[in-house]
Amino acid sequence: MDERTDEIEAGHLQELRRGTVVLACLLILRTPDYGYALLERLAAAGIATDGNTLYPLLRRLEKQELVTSEWNTDEARPRKFYRTSPAGEQLAARLLRDWNDLTRSLHDIDEGDHR
Amino acid sequence: MTATLTDRYIWAVQRSLPEAQRDDIDRELRGTIADTIDAKLESGLGSAEAERATIAELGDPYRLAAGYADRPLVLIGPDLFPSYIRLLKLLYAIVLPCAAGGVTLALLLSRPESVGAVMGPLWATILGVTVHLGFWVTLLFALIERGPKKDRASIGEWSPENLPDVPQRGDVKLSDAIGSVVFLVTMFGLVLWQQFWPVVTADDGTPLPLLNEGLWSLWLPVLFGIALVEIAFAVLVWRFGRWTVPLAVVNAVLAIAAAAVLVWLFVTDQVVNPAWAQQLGLSGLVAPGGVLAVIGAFAATGIALWDIIDGVIKTVRARRP
Repeated sequence: MDERTDEIEAGHLQELRRGTVVLACLLILRTPDYGYALLERLAAAGIATDGNTLYPLLRRLEKQELVTSEWNTDEARPRKFYRTSPAGEQLAARLLRDWNDLTRSLHDIDEGDHR
Repeated sequence: MTATLTDRYIWAVQRSLPEAQRDDIDRELRGTIADTIDAKLESGLGSAEAERATIAELGDPYRLAAGYADRPLVLIGPDLFPSYIRLLKLLYAIVLPCAAGGVTLALLLSRPESVGAVMGPLWATILGVTVHLGFWVTLLFALIERGPKKDRASIGEWSPENLPDVPQRGDVKLSDAIGSVVFLVTMFGLVLWQQFWPVVTADDGTPLPLLNEGLWSLWLPVLFGIALVEIAFAVLVWRFGRWTVPLAVVNAVLAIAAAAVLVWLFVTDQVVNPAWAQQLGLSGLVAPGGVLAVIGAFAATGIALWDIIDGVIKTVRARRP
């Protein structure tokens, strides 16, 4: 595989995965967590993303009231914990349903069952 | 004490953030960077190296701050770009020729001493107008890009009604032919009218035609001849049905011939009957090198240029597959 094919493939993969970060965050943050830990949990779940994408994204979700936040100052290092809000939970359910529908459709198409 | 890389990075991010967000983001980012550095230390990196790698991963502070503040990282985004380019092209197409024409006319009226005295200011004007137009239109769109999304949507809006007509490939419209015939016949009629039914009379009642009567001996017949050829040519093009390179060349030659005669007559002040001008007190207007000479020569050149360009454009269109 030459360099150009790699590049094209990487571009399409990135395009396909773009929206999944939001959904994964909303699902993971049912248990509250802070920025860096969330990044690690996403990576462990196979949804790799960069800090410079994730941290602003968390702020945006907070502004859209899809997650709530709370400062935890119990430990030496104060951390901002995010948690999925009821609205975020609703959106996550909706997105997940859509994702599953798409998976099924793509599978059907792949199997040649167009109807 | 010199500031650490972390301090410098956080300061660079904060600098372009709204005041209200600063403290909160400062605190969180500091914690996040510390967490990331710790993780790198655990994996065996040295402390300086770990900090450097962490900052490098976070990337350009301006980009990160734009993410936090929800600011666009483009001057003019895809919503507005088509409208922006369309408007810019339209303005250049209208304003540049008008400015160039206006400045040339004004310069000619001031009786320049050489061609250079016209070309210098003309280039300066064209350059100035190009730069100004580009700058202000771009600034306007960049501001709209940063304004409410509602404005952006309404300006970027497009509907099928906005589609331009497909250029009629090669088809010569009958209206074009009729237009040029009517124009030439009208000119012909005006020349006859001013000669045989003059409006102005001398004090002793002698009729005074507008045009110099000496022109009848040679130049008016020459112009009539060119006009007749032009009429025949307009009909020929229409009958032929499409513009071709030879037709465009003939069109250009005819336009240049007519313009050359007219410009020469205007510049040498042979057009207007001096007695007519004197009777109306307009002698200054038609004095050698006067306003009329410049405007007349300018108009004749402009019309010829437009005629030539029109022919070339139609030929190019007809050749396009």
